[in-house]
Amino acid sequence: MPTLPATTVDFFLAGLEAFMVRSGQGMHWGVTQLWLAGRPDAAALQSAWEQMHAQQPLLGARLRRQWRGWRLAWETSGPIPAPPIIWHPPQPLPPDDGVLQERLQGRTPAGGLTSPLLLEVFPWGDGGAHRVLLTWRHALMDGTGVNLLLTRLAGGGGGDAGPPPVVVPPREGLGRLFKKARPLLRRMHTMTLDGCLSAWSKGAPQAGAPAFRLIELTLEQSHAAVMRLRETCGDFMQMPFYAAIAARALRRLHERRGWHSPVLHLHLPCQVRGRSREHLFGNHMGALPLFLDAGALGTPDQAIKHVLEQYREALKQGMAQASEALMALSTHLPVTWFMPVVRWTNRGQICSLFHSHTGTFLAGCTTFAGAAVQNVVTIPSVSTPPGLGIFFSDFAGRITVTLAWREGGVTAAEEKLLCGQILTDLTGASAA
Amino acid sequence: MPAAPITPDSVIELLTAEHILEPQEPITPDTDLFTLGLDSMAMMQLLLLIEERFQLTVNPAEMTRDRFASAGALATFLGEKRRRAA
Repeated sequence: MPTLPATTVDFFLAGLEAFMVRSGQGMHWGVTQLWLAGRPDAAALQSAWEQMHAQQPLLGARLRRQWRGWRLAWETSGPIPAPPIIWHPPQPLPPDDGVLQERLQGRTPAGGLTSPLLLEVFPWGDGGAHRVLLTWRHALMDGTGVNLLLTRLAGGGGGDAGPPPVVVPPREGLGRLFKKARPLLRRMHTMTLDGCLSAWSKGAPQAGAPAFRLIELTLEQSHAAVMRLRETCGDFMQMPFYAAIAARALRRLHERRGWHSPVLHLHLPCQVRGRSREHLFGNHMGALPLFLDAGALGTPDQAIKHVLEQYREALKQGMAQASEALMALSTHLPVTWFMPVVRWTNRGQICSLFHSHTGTFLAGCTTFAGAAVQNVVTIPSVSTPPGLGIFFSDFAGRITVTLAWREGGVTAAEEKLLCGQILTDLTGASAA
Repeated sequence: MPAAPITPDSVIELLTAEHILEPQEPITPDTDLFTLGLDSMAMMQLLLLIEERFQLTVNPAEMTRDRFASAGALATFLGEKRRRAA
């Protein structure tokens, strides 16, 4: 059976999903929503969907341990048939949170998903508006892949020669990997001793259904946020800017609960070097661990300055490479052991918060299968711990913030507090 | 160690030798750096290397799109910064 090389990040996500399933949280799904002003071309969408399935054998692949060398690889028996695109009957309103919540659990009214991808179209209202939902399995792809997939579907998928050749990552000895990982291990040990909390504590509910909240900024609010971003971080350092805002929101949550976490541990996504961004499937993003002093997050400006300093220090100390080395070391464990070991070494936690700035999905595209795009937003199901994810994206000059947690993990009052804090920090104006 | 001279070629060398960018094609002074994947992390790595090689500190707020558009534009910006500092 043909195999394709897996990256250490594929292993991390497989470990995370194994942990989620064993703790009753289900599989790790994400849903990407497209707001369309018109009806997408059904024939073009169908053709692109089928073409993509025919060209991507990874869609039917499973992560397996190879007999020789104990190496993880994607094992595939070739392309799988494209599942039908589901066209729903017109409704007065777009799909509600219940529909999204169901998809985030890998379910439809007809039963559980049997394919890693599901594409649905929901016509709604009298003005010809449509919502497109793409449900995808995170163990197989990430935001970079989703963006590539949407771009192909948007343009009809024509002229695509299939996935680029896979580069086999160089293998390093255990001693060398351990040497590279040591600075991170030391830092994590210190952090654990200092006490580092997430939005979850031992004994709190863990297996609730995925819950989320979208904060859609207006054009004016988005403009104010971008101005703040440029003044403090220039045109390119979006990640530290948004990470500072996410960290402050978590700190506020801790304060409200009366929790004391002197350190916050953020996992920032970073591109795995050597992996082509052209791969739809397989994960591209490693983790850059950032250790923040909660006392340095007093005001947004202080927080941004602190995150920039820590971001700089983390890169100077080779934390991205250390993180990749640690993950490479972990691949020698059975997948189901990985997350329990991480939680054991971190006193039950994985990190304080999942966070990313996914940038603009479908950058430069104004239409999707012929229909005008108004916004594109991704909602992932977030594991507990950490129990909270804060993600930022933008489209056509408008910023959308996605908060994701598990039912029972964040109260309605806390949700309101988080939204207010994030909006105030982003725009500089108090939330109404 | 004396600061390295700032030229488009020395900037290209900085970007490729340290694997900040992994281009499929060779970078020229006019190549659009953003299409090659210059993200937040690559930018911060670039700032650290600029400090180390050229002995210049660049504030993140100075990182504007026009200054970092290409190796040529970046060399011009860094050259001016060095002259001002002298």
